[in-house]
Amino acid sequence: MTYDIAIIGGGIMGCSTALTVAAGGQRAIVLDQGDLGQGASGVNAGTLSLQIKRVKLMPYALKGHEIWERMGAAVGFARTGGYTLAFNAREAELLHDRQTLKAQAGAPIEFVSNNRLRAAEPALTQSVVAASFCAQDGFANAALTGQYFRARLRQAGVAFREGAAVTGIDKTGVFTLATPHGCVRAHRILLAAGAWLKPLAAMLDVDLPVTARVNTVSVTDRLPPLMGSVIGHATGLLTMKQKANGTVLIGGGWQGRGTPQDGRGAVDATTLRPNLALAQYAVPALGDARVLRSWTGFEAHVPDFYPLAGPLPGVEGAFVLGCVRGGYTIGPYIGALMGASVLGQEPEMPLFDPARHFEEETI
Amino acid sequence: MIRLRADHSKRIRRAPLVTFSFDGEQIAGHAGESLLAALMRAGHLRLRNAPNSAGPRGGFCCMGLCQECVVRINGQTVEACRTAVGAGLEVVRV
Amino acid sequence: MTGPVFDVAVIGAGPAGANAAIAAAAQGLRVALLDEQDYAGGQVWRAKSAAILEAPPTVEGRAGDVLRARLAASGVTHLAQARVWDIARRGGAQWQLHVLRAGRSDAIAARALILATGAREFVQPVPGWTLPGVIGLAGATALMKHEQMPPGQRTVVCGTGPLVFYVASEIRRLGGQVAAVVTPNRRADWLAALPQLMRRPALAARGAFWLSELALARVPVLWGHAVSQVTGSAQIDGVGVRALDADWAPQGKQRQITADSLCMGYGLAPQCEAAQMLGVPLRHDAALGGWLPEGTADGATAVDALYLCGDGSGVRGADAAAAQGTLTGLRAAADLGRAAPALQRGALGRFNRAARFGTAMTALSAPRGGLVQLTTDTSVVCRCEGVTRAAIEVELSCGAGSSNAVKSGLRAGMGPCGGKFCQAAIGGLIAAHRGVDESAIAPPTARPPLRPVPVSAAAGSFSYDDLPIPKPAPL
Repeated sequence: MTYDIAIIGGGIMGCSTALTVAAGGQRAIVLDQGDLGQGASGVNAGTLSLQIKRVKLMPYALKGHEIWERMGAAVGFARTGGYTLAFNAREAELLHDRQTLKAQAGAPIEFVSNNRLRAAEPALTQSVVAASFCAQDGFANAALTGQYFRARLRQAGVAFREGAAVTGIDKTGVFTLATPHGCVRAHRILLAAGAWLKPLAAMLDVDLPVTARVNTVSVTDRLPPLMGSVIGHATGLLTMKQKANGTVLIGGGWQGRGTPQDGRGAVDATTLRPNLALAQYAVPALGDARVLRSWTGFEAHVPDFYPLAGPLPGVEGAFVLGCVRGGYTIGPYIGALMGASVLGQEPEMPLFDPARHFEEETI
Repeated sequence: MIRLRADHSKRIRRAPLVTFSFDGEQIAGHAGESLLAALMRAGHLRLRNAPNSAGPRGGFCCMGLCQECVVRINGQTVEACRTAVGAGLEVVRV
Repeated sequence: MTGPVFDVAVIGAGPAGANAAIAAAAQGLRVALLDEQDYAGGQVWRAKSAAILEAPPTVEGRAGDVLRARLAASGVTHLAQARVWDIARRGGAQWQLHVLRAGRSDAIAARALILATGAREFVQPVPGWTLPGVIGLAGATALMKHEQMPPGQRTVVCGTGPLVFYVASEIRRLGGQVAAVVTPNRRADWLAALPQLMRRPALAARGAFWLSELALARVPVLWGHAVSQVTGSAQIDGVGVRALDADWAPQGKQRQITADSLCMGYGLAPQCEAAQMLGVPLRHDAALGGWLPEGTADGATAVDALYLCGDGSGVRGADAAAAQGTLTGLRAAADLGRAAPALQRGALGRFNRAARFGTAMTALSAPRGGLVQLTTDTSVVCRCEGVTRAAIEVELSCGAGSSNAVKSGLRAGMGPCGGKFCQAAIGGLIAAHRGVDESAIAPPTARPPLRPVPVSAAAGSFSYDDLPIPKPAPL
């Protein structure tokens, strides 16, 4: 049995592409080295915030938000609104400059007064110097990614195999993928393996300049209501949200240790501690909360921090999708765009040529 | 009745009783024993309710692992099985 | 923030850890021994609380007192009330331990690290097992050793191995009533273990004493039975018991026993989260308590300068733990240049002898396949999050096939206890569903903190100006 396309990587992007391709009548199979949605898709902090999206990716993020809203309760979606805070003059300037540009790019972002902030979020520290707000921001539950897409793929009749790491790719006529459970054959392939794209592409002698940051996220025990919106920081060093069950998720991109080739990354207590200190600074009542669990996830990027989305350079019939900055938000949409491209349709918005020169801004 | 194993309970001497409060109620406990022990002796087996309507809970593992016996003292969440009774301690349910 | 640097840090001050620390210190090394409790002794030799001014001596109490005296005389730096919440390798040559003590977190560095984290118990979930008044079997021993009081007035004691008789005996010694002893083991299981028992006549005599004591007191002993239900609304008011078949599956009618307290447990399992987090490979051995980190008899692992000893590396009992602790302390010392081959040989001999007996007791205590049938659909499996067997089965039938997948989808194992009391049962359910052996279902990823840590303690003293100014994110 030869599939029309084999998708290597069962995260949001791989699964979204698979669903689009299947809806267009092609036979797809999704392969993941572990469980579906256990890479970045499953371990990030779940933030859906237009305020942290890149200006040129804003149109994609807006579409992404629409899709997340449609996914709804099945992924724990909540539109809470979000605030980005500045605690000193330097941060306030950064906040003002950046949020203005993002608003101009289409995000409904406004600057808010201290009074309004205090009324909305009374548990915040008094030390806020400036703040922006976006009513469309919110979050979803990243841990539900795997469960959600497992159900969607089954419903759509799309084949998938978990625990099926691709250990070799042979291209003679069709693609033959070696996995521990046997070979998978497909006319075309999509590499959607996130932080593992570099070694995967290397199997086809393609060098993708993919590196991975090791982002740390922590979760507290259940707390009384402390915040109703997603809280961000002008420098990006802090994200916080309180889930319906009362637990608070704390992120901010503080770096743990490890590389994707080593398996899972490791939390570094010397970066975890300032992350938590900043959270306590922003919401002093968090001091009495207990951290129950901290973990890391790999967030892949290429040198210009724009997506890889298009044909794999030099390999006929192979595509690559990943390294989106804000991949959780944009993933479902860019997966649909990729799927449209695979089906031979013109995608609604431009994709991102993986063969581009990464030194320049060619987007 | 002949007992092979003597009842030693009367041969145990404990530190003097002190009073602490639990959700406002005055409870007597021996200084230095665990809050869990003192609360059990006072008939307070239920220390909290589990989330998701999963019912009343109290001490289970008795060694600081299961987190079923947590109570709040001065805003901090602590295990009752690992916290010693002290005079005047103000303990509330989480 | 740096603190003192030790040659060896030992985590866990039970028979294994305390002996490891003492042995390493005796070779002239600077040793730190960290433990959550006020005094050394772990669970099996747990000290009495400060509230106990006078109490009749017990075998375990004496053993603990001897250990604590040896520790006090040893030159080991004993850090009591210390909760290690994270461990990392720093600069290639040192372990850095993040320790919570008195509301603050400090770092301690050591060249070598010995994990002696002991064991926790396994309880097969049954309807009502989360009711107040139900405690673990090992939990009951910890409670009684520390507080010198019975867990209730009229207690049902349910479990496997020798612990069930020990607990019943202790409850009576401390003035409580035992309504019944309920054990899945049959007399035949014990007879089969007789050759091992007879190698340790003193222990065999204790067991015989416990059984005679219970018989004389006319305490019913229900061999080949298990508690199948706990009844009550705000707290326990009784239990239901059922007979078990040869594979320990429940059969026949449920009978009720009135009780205000239940102690229940089916064997011990190694606490291997720290080892797992630090990269020690795990293997599954039902006769040693299930998943355990791989190490040699003298405690060496695949991870450089990381050692394991005691029940945390395989449940072999207190005497084996004590001997292995000494052995491992000596091994760590030898690797740091202070070899003592004669002492190492002696300790190895003691360990091997004690382990033979200990593993026989562990095998007797280990649950058999049918026990999982006691966990009905409505039984809560993950206590912290209230996840029932039914919910887990639905998740499995939707395609979740691993511990991590079930955890992500249902929050099972994501609560405050970190999966300590549900992961083994969940692994059993996944294995049963997929028709594979338990050893095919790996435990979920171990994450820090090793214990819940208050944000304020982890944050420490913080000045906003110390925050790094990152490169601005790409716009």
